[in-house]
Amino acid sequence: MVDGIRPKSLKKALEILSEQQFTIMASGTDLMVQRARGFALAPEFEKPLLFIEHLSELKKIYIENDEIHIGACAILTDIMHSEIIPPVLKDIIGQMASPPTRNMATLAGNICNASPAGDSLPYLYAVDAKIVLQSSDEKRTMHVSEFITAAKKTVLKANELVTDIIIPNKVYSHNVYRRLGQRKGMSLTKASLLGMADIEEGKIIDIRIALGAVSAIIARSKEIEESLKNKKTEDLKTDVAEILAKYDPLIKPIDDARSTAKYRKKVSLNLIKDFLENLN
Amino acid sequence: MKIDFTLNNKEISIDVDANRRLLDLLRDDFGMKSVKEGCGEGECGACVVLVNGRSMNSCMLPAGAIIGKSVVTLEGFKHTERYKAIESGFLKAGSVQCGFCTPGFVISTESLLNENPHPTDDEIKEALSGNLCRCTGYNMIVKGVRLAIEMGEGLW
Amino acid sequence: MKQPISKSIIRVDSRAKLRGEAQYVSDWEFENMLYARTFRSTKAKAKILSIEIPDIPEGYFIVDKNDVPGVNRMRTVVSDHPLFAEDNVQYIGQPILLVVGPDREGIDSIYSQIKPEYQEETPLLTLEEAEKHSKVFTDYNYKKEDPEKAFANAHRIIEDSFSTGYQEHVYLEPQGIAAEFKDDTLFVYGSMQCPFYVEGALMDAMDMPKEKIRVVQTVTGGAFGGKEEFPSLNGCHVAIAAKKTGHPVSMIYDRDEDILCSTKRHPSKVRFKAALDENDDLVGLDIDVLLNAGAYNGLSPVVLQRAIFSATNVYHIKNLNVRGRNYMTNVLPSGAYRGFGAPQTIFAIEMLFYNIAKKLGVDPLEYKMRHLLKQADSTCTGGCVREEVKMPEIIEKIVKSSDYYNKLKNNKKYQGIGISLFLHGCGFTGKGESVINGKIELIKNKDIVTFKVSSVEMGQGAETVLRKIVAETLEIPIEKVIYETVDTGKVPDSGPTVASRTTMIVGGLLQKTAMQMKERWDDLENLELTNNYKQPKYLSWDDENFRGDCYPVHSWGANVAEVEIDPVTYELTVKKLHAVFDVGVPIDERALIGQMEGGVVQGVGWATIEVMGSDLGRLKQANLTDYKIPTSMDVPEIDCDFVLNPYEFGPFGAKCAGELSFVGSPPAVAAAVAHAMGKAINHLPITPEVLMEMDNED
Repeated sequence: MVDGIRPKSLKKALEILSEQQFTIMASGTDLMVQRARGFALAPEFEKPLLFIEHLSELKKIYIENDEIHIGACAILTDIMHSEIIPPVLKDIIGQMASPPTRNMATLAGNICNASPAGDSLPYLYAVDAKIVLQSSDEKRTMHVSEFITAAKKTVLKANELVTDIIIPNKVYSHNVYRRLGQRKGMSLTKASLLGMADIEEGKIIDIRIALGAVSAIIARSKEIEESLKNKKTEDLKTDVAEILAKYDPLIKPIDDARSTAKYRKKVSLNLIKDFLENLN
Repeated sequence: MKIDFTLNNKEISIDVDANRRLLDLLRDDFGMKSVKEGCGEGECGACVVLVNGRSMNSCMLPAGAIIGKSVVTLEGFKHTERYKAIESGFLKAGSVQCGFCTPGFVISTESLLNENPHPTDDEIKEALSGNLCRCTGYNMIVKGVRLAIEMGEGLW
Repeated sequence: MKQPISKSIIRVDSRAKLRGEAQYVSDWEFENMLYARTFRSTKAKAKILSIEIPDIPEGYFIVDKNDVPGVNRMRTVVSDHPLFAEDNVQYIGQPILLVVGPDREGIDSIYSQIKPEYQEETPLLTLEEAEKHSKVFTDYNYKKEDPEKAFANAHRIIEDSFSTGYQEHVYLEPQGIAAEFKDDTLFVYGSMQCPFYVEGALMDAMDMPKEKIRVVQTVTGGAFGGKEEFPSLNGCHVAIAAKKTGHPVSMIYDRDEDILCSTKRHPSKVRFKAALDENDDLVGLDIDVLLNAGAYNGLSPVVLQRAIFSATNVYHIKNLNVRGRNYMTNVLPSGAYRGFGAPQTIFAIEMLFYNIAKKLGVDPLEYKMRHLLKQADSTCTGGCVREEVKMPEIIEKIVKSSDYYNKLKNNKKYQGIGISLFLHGCGFTGKGESVINGKIELIKNKDIVTFKVSSVEMGQGAETVLRKIVAETLEIPIEKVIYETVDTGKVPDSGPTVASRTTMIVGGLLQKTAMQMKERWDDLENLELTNNYKQPKYLSWDDENFRGDCYPVHSWGANVAEVEIDPVTYELTVKKLHAVFDVGVPIDERALIGQMEGGVVQGVGWATIEVMGSDLGRLKQANLTDYKIPTSMDVPEIDCDFVLNPYEFGPFGAKCAGELSFVGSPPAVAAAVAHAMGKAINHLPITPEVLMEMDNED
């Protein structure tokens, strides 16, 4: 028998976590399917479940010091409807899973699942999102790329919870999000591109490019982005081959049930090219 | 684990394994057979129910996560005026064929209209995209939602 | 002009389904019911050396080959599939035994401790390998006129080949079945198309007489062919388990198990050699059809028959040499799926015509129309096209409504429009209807009329359509017409619910009988009438040589697809679909449009996103996360229209419709993509991955 605990507060949840090991359960959209055992059978868990989705401390969405804080258990639908969320992130969330799943799933769940196909990750990597982790005696904040160490692996300790995701309160002048699935309705991502840039008087002031599902986690290069800064957008067309050549080695996709490595590679490069060539 | 929640507006208090799927709880423990298992992995929407007014996949929802929430299935929803409008729209449009997906589509329609009483056709299609139907090709379901909106004007 | 019968009514089954009150077999509960779960092979080909079974707690049972009272084979066209594996397994997913018990957790615990020991053997995994090793299950051949001469005199010879992949039915309700004994009578309840097929299979497996078996169809959540022969297998499983345990036994598959072991559409390869005369007319065709039947032949021979009899589609080809082969591979058995072999060959010949026309520099539609069958022409098997062929009217209508030629002039790369022409032979192939000899009963009790047939409602609208036919014929309200529960103990065998035969054959028989009843309506309070189906006298068929009329009549149609391909991502969008059908007379227009749109969309799915491959005998897309069918967001507007062409022997002039809906959209989409890309499309599905390779190959 797998038992569960539903603490009344975040504080209580962290106390319990410091005493015993749990499987942390928000709404179950990933875990319940990963552990599914078939018709009319309950998914199996080795550890008892700690239910946290109801914790009001973890559901807040607010701005502080010009940063947007998204509570770990804020529901995707609510994030999508929040007025303070940048439009491109709303667009991304609006393409995740399906409406009933978005009514349950949390952003922290997508992050903790740490899948290269996780749809929120290109954005979080691109904006250098911070993840706040808390245990009963420590609070630490780190960059998302430090939090996720490999596919399916994070630094989350057994006594910790993700409590907040922090993103800059910033909207870029140019935003492109393209997600490729096997169909237009709900599907897992086979490749994706998030491109954002600030352009002033035809010059790139800031640029972010992140690719999903084509590398061990998310492909992004600050170095290449740096090299694009101060470039005139009208020069991008002539330079694009050179830029793509730099991205090429970062894109290391695989063959699987949903697509081919060859397609993912080619299309990821096409998407970067298309993004850059249309900046003006 | 002790689970207190409301099911079709009735207060329920039970002791069950926390990892039980809401789907199984509803079907096996409460006889709510309108809730169907079509895939068990959140892909088909046949098990969708309303939780606090919103559609959710009951195959992915553990029992422990519904504490304090209001769960509504068709067994409860079918007595409402809103249901009657949806039923009329679906009947008139020919939205029902084999019927296995139908309860899920009804619930998703309610969830959509609850949030957005005047959706465009594209918004309807988007809202129903978590429900698979293999019989109709969907256009007659979209039309059913359209008719439900007309017939149920003012209900949402 | 619209016929009165075509006027739509509210489907009689829809209210209960909307309210969630319809009882599918997974909703049924029996007293002291046990559950069953199937233990399956994980090897593509192996000898079973031993099976280690853990200690079985009281109340639990293992059911295997030793428990089969009768023959351990599933009765179908070729009864080669063991109900439970004997000393070997031939595919991953093959049933070996059942674990049966009162609690699903208990079953799971036993299941996880079963340890088979296999000696693996080298499997044949693909159609190509099977062809190389000549693992042929069935080899058919038929000829028309003098193909050798046509090729010897050919002005030009063109060769081409086409292939298609698997398709999974994804009926929303997974397979489910239950059995119980009441006294010494066996009851089997389940989601199925063909209760009498199940009955036949049970007679063999249980060694029981027909009189002691009742097969009851429960509300069926979609089938599309997937519940044609398969319930004969799981039906025998639960019956054997019920006998051994003395309890009712229910076995409901979850989606993954359903995909793992239930039949699929046959992957195909079709090779053509075409002889063109001095006018570039196609006067001779050599057609070679290969189907991947999987590990057991089952009903693949009849699928192959429809495939080769549909291979010339709507075209009149004077000289023919047609060969068809089913190949054995160590992959799960292929089986019935809407269209039954015809979608594979119709896709192939539609694209053959397209490719030849392109090669000749002529308009594909014009080239197709040069070869259209006309009334009184001979069919591919030398039968006669007796009905009026309204293809010119259909084509005129669809060309106009879709603005086909104007859009065809658009030479923008990545945008395309394509047209397909097609037919479907109504009812069983060849002598099928005579063999089945479908029987119906019509019973008048005062002003209530009950009809008894074995044709099931599985979502396609049979209950509404059949009740409507009886009500309209008798001129009584539809509420006064009762459709008897399909229970083999109560209804006569009107044949299986397959081959698009329900409306035309069974409905026709009901209409005929209702007319007889009407004549005596006022004379008698109670009246029982039965009738058996008789083939129209004009039909002749030689089953040995495949000569004559393989179908009594055909339904016809044309589809137009408009597509767009994203030049950056190669994503394919079907922007609009147009469809015009000749199904004789629509019995209920809205119900019919529901069928047609649903079939068109299934066809688009097969042609575009529904990728299913196997690797070492294991399906690569084995759940609904990986195997994708269209959602509401993937479906364009569909413009659906009909031309009237009443058929003398159909009820109110109706012909067949259910499968016709499927066959046209795949070649229409393929032609549109060919137009958009300027390249030939010889394979389905057309994925972005394929389009990317195609666009970058020069």
